[in-house]
Amino acid sequence: MKYFKVAILSAAVAGLAACGGDNDKKSSSNNNSSAAIIENTRSNAWYSDAEAKIAATTQANLNRGAAKNVILFVGDGMGISTVTAARILAGQLKGQSGEENNLSFDLFPYTGLAKTYNVDAQTPDSAGTMTALISGVKTDVGVIGVNENIVRGDCTTVAGNELVTALELAEIAGKSTGILSTARITHATPAATYAKSADRDWEDDGDMPAAAISAGCEDIASQLINFEPNLEARINGVDVDGIEVVMGGGRRSFLPKDATFNSPDAVSSVEGDRTDGRDLTAEWKTRYPSGNYIFDQTSFDAIDTESTSKVLGLFNESHMQYEADRGNDVAGEPSLSEMTEKAIKILDNNDNGYFLMVESGRIDHAHHAGNAYNALNDAVELSEAVAKAVELSNSDDTLIIVTADHSHVFTIAGYPKRGNPILGKVVGIGSNSPSLAADGTPYTTLGYTNGLGFRDLGNETDADEAYNQAIDTGRKDLSQINTQAPGFHQEALIPLGSETHAGEDVGVYASGPGAALVSGTNEQNMVFHVMNYAADLVNKANSKQVAP
Amino acid sequence: MRIRTAILSGVLPIAIASHAAAAVMPAHQTSNPWYTDAATSTNAKATATTPNKAKNVILFVGDGMGVSTLTAARILQGQQKGNQGEEGLLSFESFPHTALVKTYNVDAQTPDSAGTMTAMMSGVKSDAGVLGVSENIERGDCSTVSGNELITAIELAELKGMSTGIISTARITHATPAAAYAKSADRDWEDDGDLPDDAKAAGCEDIASQLINFEPNLEARIEGADVDGLEVVMGGGRRSFLPKDAAFNSDDAVSSVEGDRTDNRDLTAEWKARYPNGDYVFDQSSFDGVNANTATKLFGLFNESHMQYEADRGNDVAGEPSLTEMTTKAIDILDNNSKGYILVVESGRIDHGHHAGSAYSALTDAIELSNAVKAAADATSADDTLILVTADHSHVFTIAGYPKRGNPILGKVVNVGETTPTTAADGMPYTTVGYTNGLGFHDLGNATDGDAVYSEGVQAGRADLASVDTESSGFHQEALVPLDSETHAGEDISLHARGPGSQFVRGVVEQNLVFHLINQALDLLASE
Repeated sequence: MKYFKVAILSAAVAGLAACGGDNDKKSSSNNNSSAAIIENTRSNAWYSDAEAKIAATTQANLNRGAAKNVILFVGDGMGISTVTAARILAGQLKGQSGEENNLSFDLFPYTGLAKTYNVDAQTPDSAGTMTALISGVKTDVGVIGVNENIVRGDCTTVAGNELVTALELAEIAGKSTGILSTARITHATPAATYAKSADRDWEDDGDMPAAAISAGCEDIASQLINFEPNLEARINGVDVDGIEVVMGGGRRSFLPKDATFNSPDAVSSVEGDRTDGRDLTAEWKTRYPSGNYIFDQTSFDAIDTESTSKVLGLFNESHMQYEADRGNDVAGEPSLSEMTEKAIKILDNNDNGYFLMVESGRIDHAHHAGNAYNALNDAVELSEAVAKAVELSNSDDTLIIVTADHSHVFTIAGYPKRGNPILGKVVGIGSNSPSLAADGTPYTTLGYTNGLGFRDLGNETDADEAYNQAIDTGRKDLSQINTQAPGFHQEALIPLGSETHAGEDVGVYASGPGAALVSGTNEQNMVFHVMNYAADLVNKANSKQVAP
Repeated sequence: MRIRTAILSGVLPIAIASHAAAAVMPAHQTSNPWYTDAATSTNAKATATTPNKAKNVILFVGDGMGVSTLTAARILQGQQKGNQGEEGLLSFESFPHTALVKTYNVDAQTPDSAGTMTAMMSGVKSDAGVLGVSENIERGDCSTVSGNELITAIELAELKGMSTGIISTARITHATPAAAYAKSADRDWEDDGDLPDDAKAAGCEDIASQLINFEPNLEARIEGADVDGLEVVMGGGRRSFLPKDAAFNSDDAVSSVEGDRTDNRDLTAEWKARYPNGDYVFDQSSFDGVNANTATKLFGLFNESHMQYEADRGNDVAGEPSLTEMTTKAIDILDNNSKGYILVVESGRIDHGHHAGSAYSALTDAIELSNAVKAAADATSADDTLILVTADHSHVFTIAGYPKRGNPILGKVVNVGETTPTTAADGMPYTTVGYTNGLGFHDLGNATDGDAVYSEGVQAGRADLASVDTESSGFHQEALVPLDSETHAGEDISLHARGPGSQFVRGVVEQNLVFHLINQALDLLASE
């Protein structure tokens, strides 16, 4: 490091000396730094900015256990093309060209690439990938918190194959813990932090086959409510206090299928899906009498982060709204960045630190619906949430990792000029009108290889409205279409009922103690091990275990 | 180390523990190979130390090699070895340090190879289509070059007395290699026949001529400098170096008149006159005849235009070396200099395979790049040689559907638990890899030249692939938007690094940082 700084300084001194000279004719053979071409290069802002970035490199903190807190952000379906397009959109929303912009986590000092495949799938799903991220072990597609010896959908194969997660280790280690998602809190990604299930679809008892229920398998919502006793039963000699903060959507799996249990902002006539008559929100309140159960913006806003011990927030019957559609929620619901802020302010009351998992679950859903507008706006909101986490934590003691579980077949095409609207049609350099394809019609920068295809839903901000129309793939004449409108759905090649995931590597972005360990091309399950190394989770959990 | 203790105690009976039993993790988890492999890798990273300064730098550029290309090439490589594929790594994917790179040009959201390679070689982002000049250039206007020229890492290495080499499977006058040595208002000015009259009149020199005159040009640009020229130059593109006269045809000429030059200059002869001890080679046997221990200069032009796709190399008239062979030979020559070297290696035809909508060509060339990097890693020491592997930009190339593990990457999607292809809503199967635009579906059987497709028409949209062998070398994937050439893509690409200074490869960076990584490692601007 020291030698490096000296080198930079001497180069800078040489540069100053050269600037003082009148021209390159005074050059000598051993001082070529004053040549015009060299000065021309070095005085360019692109040059000096990049040089300064390298000079600012600091020594990585690789001390085991140096992270008191760990925050894992998962952008569901947020592949590298999504990150780039969201970065450009965020910049353009600020009035910039866009490409030069950075999302909050683009500024993190370390990045790696994660290989996302499941043990049995070339292109994975969220259940297998989140199990890998949170437990350190790759497993099959569609299963939650169990290893690859599971048979998907077979309850009898769960026993003995359950995995311990980073959230559970943090809980045992005496840290505070939290789970946030804009999807149903019983959906694959959040569920993998707390549940063990032979099938991701077993979100409530109504989803479970009779054989699974009779074999003793517990639905995912029930596992969330019973997290504390289940963990204590599974691991001898541990005493935990349960998850401090749980917020997301998915109320339907927690309520009986009975209209009398409807929330004030229910959308369906009968909100609950449970057939066993259990009201899991009531059970949670019984278990944590001083905890706060909330379900709308008002009750969320009323939470006092300094006095609150436990929060369960279920803001929607199913998934929470897309960020762009949030204003249309019946009773109002918080944004991902608001939930992140609230969660950290509660969790950081614990001197032992905390573990927080935050999923932006609907980037994935918008892509599935072929709607780049919502996918990118939700990715921008994830960036805002990460920025809030950076602001509320200290990089000396908090490891923040931002990654995706998998990608989507989403591309940034053509040769658009700098600053061309990312949701617009391709306009080439030096031109003001859209470039035309060989069929004589314009095409959008963003597109999908498969899915539902083109829709022009105008100002519709709910991407899922696309499912109400028939599949319509192939080329369309977009010359009169506003492709930047929220309700525009991009063209697709292969007709499918839902656009698919993609199999290429995703990015891993990290800041704080241990962050340098994400570097390189790694199997996705490595993320658990980076968190474990940084916060020393296994050893700290082991030290809390009391012999029977 | 501590993790090993935990694993050991995890398999011991808990009863012997008097205080903490240290076994919250089940043994099946801590002994699971997925778990132990990742834990071992994490601990190894935590203890690795890397020096800052290097003696040598090798920069590999996979033209058009986006992240989806890496993943698909990795899977194909593994499947060719009989593995499932997903679990493997390309050679450079085991390098310890990575970054994501923002590729846009100053005037383009999705860039081209000229602006991107200028950024990597000179540390300054520039416009699309221009070489070795800053963004103040007007593309195609010769009169705007003067005063906007940038110096490159190759030139700085020359000035430092290091050995230098440039290799490409594309024409050596093509954008990527040219950005290492030329200054041009347009990437298309590969020979004098390509230069507009006003550019000639204004004194601009074509790219091929700039390559041959690299030494005197650099000395003229840097007063008082005395350099010895590029030691190793190999690639395709002979046509820009020979007069448009059949008498100058090479032994393996394909066209009736190979040369394109209208000024009657034979630049290969000029090179030989300048470097009488140098070796000019043009086919496999003359390449094989070069003694790397005694060669001082090597100039190889193996094809009239681009070199063959790796999958098509056997069809070359007089034979030509692989990228791996060229890389090995180059290092053997360059490392004779005790002051070190810079070598730039471009795999130029990954890009061309994608433009032609031929994943087969693109992926097999990417695998050959992986082989070349492995050869370089084996031929050098991680103690003194920084190896950087990156791309200039990506392509609109996707890995779709939910294929089961080990499904042929060039095949049709077969879902988990199935043995027959999944069908789309139109009742027809679809391939795992595909493009959002381009020439679209063509079934050219066993053709190994991806460019054969350009004599077919544009055929975008869906086709019935039920009885088509999509894994054959001549299969071109379906595309959505009909274009006569599939386009680049604008998302970030990756940078992989090993050796001294590789620890500065991290985060999300502007592409021009690549130059600064090289400069950090070699102190190119420090006076002798």
